[in-house]
Amino acid sequence: MADAGPRSSSVTRVWIRAVLAPADRRAAPVLIGTGIVGIVVFGPTGMQPHDLTQLAMLSPVVGLVLVATWTLLFLPVARVIVRGDAARYLRSLPSPRWPAFALGALAMTVLQLPWLLLWLVGAGAIGALVVALVTGLVVGLALVRGRPPRVGRLRWRGPLAALFGVYVRALRRRAFDALLRGVGLAVLAGLAGGLFARNNDLEPREASVLATAVIAVVLTPGWSGILLPLAETHRDSAWLAATHGISESARVGVLAAVSVAIYVATSALAAVAAFAIVPGAGAWLVAVPLGIAVGTGLAVTRGLVRAQRSAAMAARAVIGVIVGSAIVVVALGVFGATGVLAVLLAGVLAVGTA
Amino acid sequence: MICTIERLVVRRGGRTIVDGFDLEATAGETIGIVGKNGSGKSTLLMAIAGVLAPHDGRVVIDGASVWGGARERLRARKALGYVPEAADPPGFLLGGELWAMCGASRGVEQAPSPTLSDALGLDELRDVPLERMSLGQRRRACLGAALLGPPRLLVLDEPDNGLDAKRADALVELVKAHAAAGHAAIVATHDRALLERAGARNIALATKA
Repeated sequence: MADAGPRSSSVTRVWIRAVLAPADRRAAPVLIGTGIVGIVVFGPTGMQPHDLTQLAMLSPVVGLVLVATWTLLFLPVARVIVRGDAARYLRSLPSPRWPAFALGALAMTVLQLPWLLLWLVGAGAIGALVVALVTGLVVGLALVRGRPPRVGRLRWRGPLAALFGVYVRALRRRAFDALLRGVGLAVLAGLAGGLFARNNDLEPREASVLATAVIAVVLTPGWSGILLPLAETHRDSAWLAATHGISESARVGVLAAVSVAIYVATSALAAVAAFAIVPGAGAWLVAVPLGIAVGTGLAVTRGLVRAQRSAAMAARAVIGVIVGSAIVVVALGVFGATGVLAVLLAGVLAVGTA
Repeated sequence: MICTIERLVVRRGGRTIVDGFDLEATAGETIGIVGKNGSGKSTLLMAIAGVLAPHDGRVVIDGASVWGGARERLRARKALGYVPEAADPPGFLLGGELWAMCGASRGVEQAPSPTLSDALGLDELRDVPLERMSLGQRRRACLGAALLGPPRLLVLDEPDNGLDAKRADALVELVKAHAAAGHAAIVATHDRALLERAGARNIALATKA
């Protein structure tokens, strides 16, 4: 019995490293994204939390969008904490489980701080109830495990189709949480970009340029999370491709296609959210973000290819995504809407020399 | 001649691991590559399988150079089935998806034949992610992928690592049947008994200083 204390605390420390540390890493992009949107929405001349919570409670559509966006953003974090899969082996040890439960509950509260503050400041006790209900929903969803994948009647038409299929499966199975978070961040990015443009009372062309630059910044953590498993798959499938005659340029081409698809899909979603705020931006809000998405997706492919040759692959891949977004901001800042062409050209050159 | 290797030189990290290696594998032949740890068996097999570019020399499989022009490279690899020592394809793939990918890439059937499936017990691995398989199961899945076709040349690196006795016996029978069908195999292993049972001609690699 005398050993129970120290043993219990060391088990708790292992649980923190195995569960809370990864959850914290997943929460970081969410906190950065919501922080940026919070500054824009609740800045000195912006709304008060009460305005938004009232709007959400009175308008079911606004309320649903708000809850759905937060659920998408926080679900990947909650999954890590609620399931605790990384520390499953600790359950076999003779130590109490309450420290893990208590720390898990604390983490669920602290890592939801932006959401919690919005509702507590905006709606007081009712807000606390809303947070509790949404947390219950998120916990319930986090406990749901999908059916294990099955091969079914699989027949690929050729090596490139097979490689493309492998990359798509990597996204589905390795980056599913990152995809969920990316969808949530895309909505946030679009809202932030739209609000920036509207608050500055810009013409459609300039509004789309500013909104696209904001989207590129807010979505950067989302893109990193999605693209990292893709870079790992590119590296891990290298020997298979080499022994099956799939050339390096073909591999890069498939990687570029998947990267561009990710950038275009998330940017399109962000553009829709921005359009809801600045409907006057019209066609510019389609052309600028999507053109930029194609160019950045191509440019980042080069970063991913380089990253898989490096020992510090994860860091290199993330740096590649950040550099891609920085190029977008600089190009749009210097050239305005014409920056789309500069980014497209840079993307084509980058992927051509990858 | 199914495989010809001439004056192959492979360097890694500034060291010459394979130095002027020559080999001819004829139809029906199984060749065992033996040697102590660090003698360069895996490096040699990686160069033969088109994974690691040699510094010098030639590897020709079924008349096409593994390190030649684009068309030759493709032709050589279509005649090749390879299982690396680590047997480590992307872990999220299911067994059946690995076979489909390898089959589609080589232009052959995308699922193992019933005979191959029975010998290696592949049915139970079809819907299992490779990352959830044991080493032995992963190696069986990779052997299934390598034997699709079947290929003219089979290149196996420590193929019995992790296999239980029943599957190791099945592996020997598969290698013998592969050779009997007029193909060839190059097998690197520490298990000389396996090579003897497979009727292999052994080549010993010297440990590098």
